[in-house]
Parts: sequence; C-alpha cells; structure tokens
Amino acid sequence: MTATAAALPHLSEDRHTTLWLNVAVLWHAGFALLLAASGIFLLVSLADSTIPIATGLRVFLIALSLLGGVSSACAAIFITRRDQRGRMLSLVINYLGFVVCLAFDLHILGVYVGLDVLAGTFKYGLPFLLLGFIGYLIGAWGDRHEDFPQRQQAYRRLSQTISLIAAGLWLLSVGLLEGLRALLQQFNSPLPFILTAGIAVFAVLLRAVGRRSVAEALHTKRQHEETLTGLLFLSPNLLGFLLFFAAPLLFSLLISFTNSDAFNPPDWVGLQNYQHLLNVTIQPLSSSTQLANEVLDVKIYNELARFEILGQSYVIGAQDKLFWLALRNTLVYCLMAVPVSVIPALLLATLLNSKLPGMKLFRAVYFLPSVAAIVGIALIWQWLYNSAIGYINYFISLTVNFANSLFNAGWVDPKLQWLSDSNSALIAIALMAVWATLGFNIVLFLSGLQSIPRDLYEAATVDGANPTQQFFAVTVPMLAPTTFFVLTTTTIQAMQLFEQVFILSNPLGGPNNSTLSLVVYLYQNGFQRFRQGYASATAWVLFIVIFGLTLFQYRRQRSSSGAYEG
Amino acid sequence: MNRKSLWIILSALIMASLLLSACAPAAAPAPTQAPAQQPAEPTSAPEVKSTEAPAQPAGEVTLRWRTRPDNKEETGVYASVSDELAKRLGFGLKYEPGGSESSSYQDVLKTEIAAGTAPDVFWIPGTDVADFATRGLILNLGEMAAKTQDFDVNNFYAGPMYHLTYNPETDKTGADSGALWGLPRDVSTFALYLNLDLLNEAGAPDPRELAKEGKWDWGVFLAVAKQVRALGSDIYGYGANAWWGPYGVWLNAAGGGFFNEDRTACALNTPESLKGLEFEKSLYKAGEDVAVPYGEDSEPPFRAGKVAMFQNGRWATPGTRQVDFNWDVVELPNGPSGTPGNWLFWGAYAVNPKTPHPEEAWKLVQALTEAETQGKIAALGANIPSRVSQEALDTFLTLTPPTNNQAFLNGIDPKSQPTAEGPLWAGSWPEYDAIMGPAVQAVITGDKSLEEFAKTICDEANKVFK
Repeated sequence: MTATAAALPHLSEDRHTTLWLNVAVLWHAGFALLLAASGIFLLVSLADSTIPIATGLRVFLIALSLLGGVSSACAAIFITRRDQRGRMLSLVINYLGFVVCLAFDLHILGVYVGLDVLAGTFKYGLPFLLLGFIGYLIGAWGDRHEDFPQRQQAYRRLSQTISLIAAGLWLLSVGLLEGLRALLQQFNSPLPFILTAGIAVFAVLLRAVGRRSVAEALHTKRQHEETLTGLLFLSPNLLGFLLFFAAPLLFSLLISFTNSDAFNPPDWVGLQNYQHLLNVTIQPLSSSTQLANEVLDVKIYNELARFEILGQSYVIGAQDKLFWLALRNTLVYCLMAVPVSVIPALLLATLLNSKLPGMKLFRAVYFLPSVAAIVGIALIWQWLYNSAIGYINYFISLTVNFANSLFNAGWVDPKLQWLSDSNSALIAIALMAVWATLGFNIVLFLSGLQSIPRDLYEAATVDGANPTQQFFAVTVPMLAPTTFFVLTTTTIQAMQLFEQVFILSNPLGGPNNSTLSLVVYLYQNGFQRFRQGYASATAWVLFIVIFGLTLFQYRRQRSSSGAYEG
Repeated sequence: MNRKSLWIILSALIMASLLLSACAPAAAPAPTQAPAQQPAEPTSAPEVKSTEAPAQPAGEVTLRWRTRPDNKEETGVYASVSDELAKRLGFGLKYEPGGSESSSYQDVLKTEIAAGTAPDVFWIPGTDVADFATRGLILNLGEMAAKTQDFDVNNFYAGPMYHLTYNPETDKTGADSGALWGLPRDVSTFALYLNLDLLNEAGAPDPRELAKEGKWDWGVFLAVAKQVRALGSDIYGYGANAWWGPYGVWLNAAGGGFFNEDRTACALNTPESLKGLEFEKSLYKAGEDVAVPYGEDSEPPFRAGKVAMFQNGRWATPGTRQVDFNWDVVELPNGPSGTPGNWLFWGAYAVNPKTPHPEEAWKLVQALTEAETQGKIAALGANIPSRVSQEALDTFLTLTPPTNNQAFLNGIDPKSQPTAEGPLWAGSWPEYDAIMGPAVQAVITGDKSLEEFAKTICDEANKVFK
C-alpha cells in the first residue's frame, strides 16, 4: 500500500463527532428538500410569464436545483452509511454554497461598487500609510541593535504602536465609519439577512464536516484528503474558469442558434445562422465579363469571386459575402504574419543566444514592443503610415531623391498608400503586428535554446558538423516543442486579429473590406448591427477553424518529433 | 490565543475593515470650474415645467447622464453644466463622459443597457435612433411631452425632429405622432476648412469671395483645387475622410442620395447619384488627382499645411484653432442641383426606459437642450445649437475663429436644403452603410467601374430593407 492510499487512523466515533454527522445528515436532507421545492416551483413557473426571470435562466436554475438536490441527498445517504463519498460531496456542496452566498451577499451589500469608492478615497489615507511606513522603518532600525536587546525591544514597541495607530487612522480616513454605516443601511430587506445566514450555515457545516474526527469516522483515506486539498487550491481558478470562460462559451453556443439581439427575448432559429454564414453557390458564366446578378439569385446571393476552369468562367455567390471575405483576409493575414513572426524570431534568438558583449541590451530592445499596449502602438503606426505626412513615406522620398540626385537613377517616388490601398493595407497591418510580436517569440526561443544540452553541440563539432549543419541537425529538432508552442500561440493570435484593424483601418475593415477580419466582423454584427446570435455563430466557426489549425500543427509536431526520436 | 491565531484574526479584521470602508457612498464630485469663454449674451432659457409630481422626494433622486464630448474641454463644461442644472432642477445629477480611443461610446452604452446599468439619460447618434427605439432601448417621451406646457417640437430643427417624432407603429411623424424619442443635443454640418496661405501661394481665387458672388460651384471648386495641387506632389487641393458623410454630399448636391424619398429603398443607382459619385471620383487619383488619397486621414496633412480645402464638420474647429497658418471656412460648392447637398448632423439625448425617474429624466433632457445650455457648449466651437433661435445663431456667429461662421449657418439653412442625418426605420442603417461604403470606395479608387456599380449596388443594398 502506498502512503497516499493509506487510510487515516480510525478511532472510534465519539459523541461529538456523531452529533456533527447527524447534523450534517439533517442539513443535507433539508437542503435537498429545499432545492427540490425550488426546482418544482421554477418548473411550475415556466408557464408563468409574469415572473421577471428569462426562460433560459429558469431552465438553468431548474437544472441546477435538480443537480444540487440530488447531490445533497446523496451526501446525506452516504454520510448515514459512513461512506467517505458523503464527506466529499458535503464539503463540495457546502464550499460552493458558501462561495455563492458570499458573492451574492457582497453584491447585494454593494461591496463591489464600494471598491470603486475606495479607489476614490484611497488618496486621503496616503499620509497615514506614510506614517505606517515610518513605523516600519523604526522597527527595521531597531533590528540593527542586536547587541542591546532592551533598546531593540523599545524600538519594536514604538514601531508596532505607530503602525497600529497609522493603520487605524488610515482606515478611518478612507471611510471605515461611512462604510460601516452604508453597509448597515443595506440590511433593509430579508435578502441580505438570508444570504448572511447562508454564509454562516455553510461555513459551520464546512468546518464541521472538515474536522479530522469526521474524516476518520467516514473512513477517509489520505488520497481523498489530498484530492480535496488539491481541489480547494484549484477552486479559485476553476470557479473563475467555469464562471467567466466556460459558461459564456456555452452560452454563446446556445445563442448562436437564436436570433438574439442581446436586448430582447430571442427566438430559436436552429442552424439558420450557420446556414446563412456558409451558404454558397457556384454558377457558370457565359463570358468572364458577364454580370453576376444575371446568373445569381440576387435576393439571396452576392458575388464573392470568379474563376475560370478549362476556358469556362464561373462565379461564386455567397449569402454572406462579408463572412467569406473576412475568413479569406484572416487566413491571408495568418500566412503573412505567422512565418514572419516565427522564422526571424528563431534566427534572431540564435544570434542573441551568443555570448557577445551587449546582447542583453539587444534582447531588451527586441522585447520592448511586446511590453507596449497594442492600442498605443497602433496609433503611432497609423501616423507613421500616413501617405501624405508619415515618416515612412518621408524616408522613402528622401532615399529616392538622394538616389536620383546622386546617380541620376530616375526612380519614381512610389508615395505608397499603406493603409488606404486595398492591396497594401493588410500587409501594413501584418508588418506592424510582426514588429510587436517578434520580441516575445524571441524570448520564448531563447529559453528553448538555453535548455539544449551543450554536449550535443560538442558531439556535433567532434563529428565535423559546421554551424549551419548544427543549426539544422541539433537546434531545430531540439527546439521542436518550443517551435510548436510559438507557432500555435502566434497562429491563434493572428486568427484573432482585431485591435490593429480597429485602430488602423478607417472605415473599420477598409479599404474595400480588405482588412475585415473574422473577429472584426463578429464585433460588427454583435455590437453594431444588433445580431448577437449571428455573431456567436461566426465566433463558433472561427473556433472550429482555429481548433482545426491547432490540431493540424499538433499532429505535425507529434509526427516530426516521433521521427526524430525514432 | 497563540501568535499565529492573533495574526490571522488581525488580518481578517483589516480585510473586513477594508471591505467596510469600500462600502462608503461616493463623495459628491467637486464642482468643475466653468470655462472662461462663455457666450456673450446667453439666450434666455425656457422654464422647464414639471408634468407630474416626482415618484419620490426630489432630494433623494440622483440621475446619471452621459454624452460623448468632442474634446477634453467639453468634458469640463458638461460637468459644470451638470452641477448648475442639479441646483436648478432640485435633484442630483452625475455626469459621465463616454468614449475614448480604445472604447467605443456606443459599445459601452449598449453593453450597459444589456446589463441594466446604463445611465438614466444618454446621448446617441442620429443614425442609431431607429435601432434603439424599435428595440425598446429608449423611452418614448411623447406622452410626457404632450403634458408639458410650452414644449414645442418646432423649437428645434425640422430634420432631426422628423426622425425623433417618427412613430414606427403608425408611420406618422410630427408633434401629434405620439412618439418622441429624445431631443437633439446640437447640430452640425460640413464646411470646407481653407488654408488661406496655401491658396494665396497658388494664386487661386478666394473661395469665400466666390461664394459671396454666387460663383462657388463644382467647376470652380475643381479649378481652385487643381491650382493648389500644382504647387507640388505633396500638396493637395482637397481632402476628406472616407465615411458616408463626405461622399454623400456629392450625391446629394447632384440631386441624388442614398435612399428614395420615403427611405424604403436604395437610390444609389439613380442617374443623379451616379453623377455625384462620378464627380467625386474625378477628384481622386483615377481622375484629376487633386485630393488626398481616398481612405487616408486628411486631417493630419491639413493641419500640417499640405491641404488647401479640407471638408469636415464643425467638430473639427477646436483642432483647427491650433494650426499656425491663416485659415477660415467656406460653404461647400453648389452642385448641379443648385445646392451644396450638405448634411444636417445631429445626435439626441434619450431616456433609458428602465430609469426609475422618467419624469426627472424628461426634465433633464429639456434642460440639457435649452438655449442657455447649448450656448455654453457651442462656445467651445465644436457644434451648433439645435434650437431654431435667432439669438442662438447670433451668439454662434461671435464664436470665432473661424471668421466666416456664417458658412456653417448657410449649411444648415433650410434654403440650402440640407439632408438630415437619419436612422433607417425601414431597415438596418449599419448594414446599409457596410454595403455602400466599400462599394463607393471601390469606384473612387478605380477597383470597380461606375457602370458595374450602377448595375449591382441596389441588388445588394436593398436586402437590408424589411
């Protein structure tokens, strides 16, 4: 038997433990009944339109009541049988109950809003914080007098007194008394009392069932204890993930089957949003110049593209032309930005990995753009890209004039319209994005490079491999996991192109939809055109595309690393 | 009690105290200093009269209200106005400026409406009114307005009020339509901002004089732009930004427009609209090449002294006041229809339907749109009062520079037949704009022929109508 599987030492159940176990059984039985009653009430109220709770939310609450009720009933049964599963269930239920009651209570009492107020009054407490710091300094000064214990003790007392007074004054100055009064004023309805009582009950039960004697009475093994401890430490992140990521994700999937505008009760439309997004048709043209509206059903389709096979011209019509344009732009952007963000990063990281003087400075210089906020970067680049007064065109003009005056080259100043020409706008955005992400990728590659054992290079040198051969035969294969990570994260970032387009393009997604990305398109639908359901469907299509690309890269990485290992 | 327990209790107490102090109610914001520049003679404010007794004692009511300031100075003025109105109206007001480079005013507002945390009164652009009204996101003030003494929709420009009193259930508009979705905060219109030094250097005639003489039309405008463009490859005769406003005026001035008369179908393919678009195309690279490339932000090159005539609204005035060359404004040139085809831009203060204090909110909307308040905001130069009041217009003329403020007033003068910016009650304006904008851009940049545009645009654009 391993140490983790060992049972906790089992002592005979004392009266105190039995009492708590009985209380827990009664509590869980009662809680199960309460939840069952709530579930039945909500089920009955489904038909009642006067209750101001959305139907979807009511269905969710019914499911939650059912799940909670069954779990609580199971906990009661298992505890009665002295089965450790009862304790596990009880702890989870009581912990979740405690967290939910606390979160709602803080909300009802206005604490979350109050935190904003604290930000406003914080400045009034700064002098007292300074006083507290002085108290700390006195204590620190006293620690220098190790040879004089009495003096050291006196300093400590003085430090503690000043710190305590400062803390008290600080709390008063930032509004403790007003806060207390405001908090008490919130207890003006039964709800805060119920929630506060809930917090107390769940906390007491949590403490009672968590007792060591209860664990022993329920034959809990060490591994169960460790599982519970692990779950407890995971819980802040896990609950945050479930609440703020998984739940909205599932909610967006749900509303992608509706015509939700985010404000009014949505209608279920099934796969209509997806059908509208993906509906395309291909029709032959009598000539390559024939108008598309002569062959397409213009009430449904818009011309998306034309192509020619074996002398026959065809037109592709799409019900949602903009979606396909956005998908094309996003993929083209990926093809441009990802290789240029990854390959030079690898080469530069290799250079920066050498032990030459000044390398740390260069590492910092390359990393700097990654620290800056993307909005700030984009605003600066917008100015640089301006075709009339931007610095980039200014330097190009200087170069052209210099070449013409010196060599009589006869070059024509191109006056590039970086952001206003549909042929160059996406390239300009990709260039800026590469500049911004290169440094971060370099750092990732650097960490990967530094983990490659030097022995391999020494062995390769002994075998007569030159630096280039070492790079391709040692560095690149050994960096495969890092490369996979860099490639995957850069691809995902590129597929989610938004901020750069939001700031740099004017109008959004322009010129001529050449910078319209999928995320920009779903933003436009969701926020500007009141089509949250449709935007959610677009988001799920984007998710599938990203997932497919990541899976492809993962399989490629697995097969290549397998070949290397073999 | 051991030391560890003591520390735990002490830490818990401090945390609890922090939470308690966090619950303290917000302190009242300090009154913001009023701006130094005020209208010379503030117009008299009509008294805002209560229609019914407020739902609760006035002292306990505090309304949140929000608008998007055009510049930082306006934020201070709005805060100051808020404080003054709070004293006068007898209930609390909290002004919240909205919008920044990274957070769209409308996105934040819509999110707050969905979450039920939107302010009681908020400003929305004119083009959003239909979307908000038909979804129940703004309160119909018609009933309260009907009970309010001395309130008259005709005190405001007719264009905005047409849309603000439109009743989608009856298709009626006007004072007796039973609908009032808000009141216009201000109005604005386009003018050409002139770099007089550049015009002088090019030896071009002064557009202001040409306008006075009635000779300011498309042909003369193009000739002046060409003269300036000849000064150098980086000097431009004309500049405008790429959105529906600037290109729309050329269509309007040619007698065309975006929609048919009752705004229920696309009219971009009419001969008049095509004529306007053709003229605009001729200004760019594919034609006479006198303009800043289409799609480029024209304001930086104008402020850098490289553009002679920059088409923009009154909101560009505060920024232009910072330039170091001689400048003024002139009205847009007359098109083939005999008018400049200008827009009457506007946005409205609307009331959140979930406000617990609709009566107070209605009083606030009236107070925010009274002549005195509008005069204070207009003094900063970014907009024009939305009340039809000679006093307000006279005051506006004194708000120089530019010297030729009359150009803006000519733009909104009913004789110039400005087209009021407006929502699309029969369809979706954002979707229409998303189809029209790229198609127009494709024509101007030469990616699409005018003929192809004419044959295809309305097939696509008409899909957005119900």
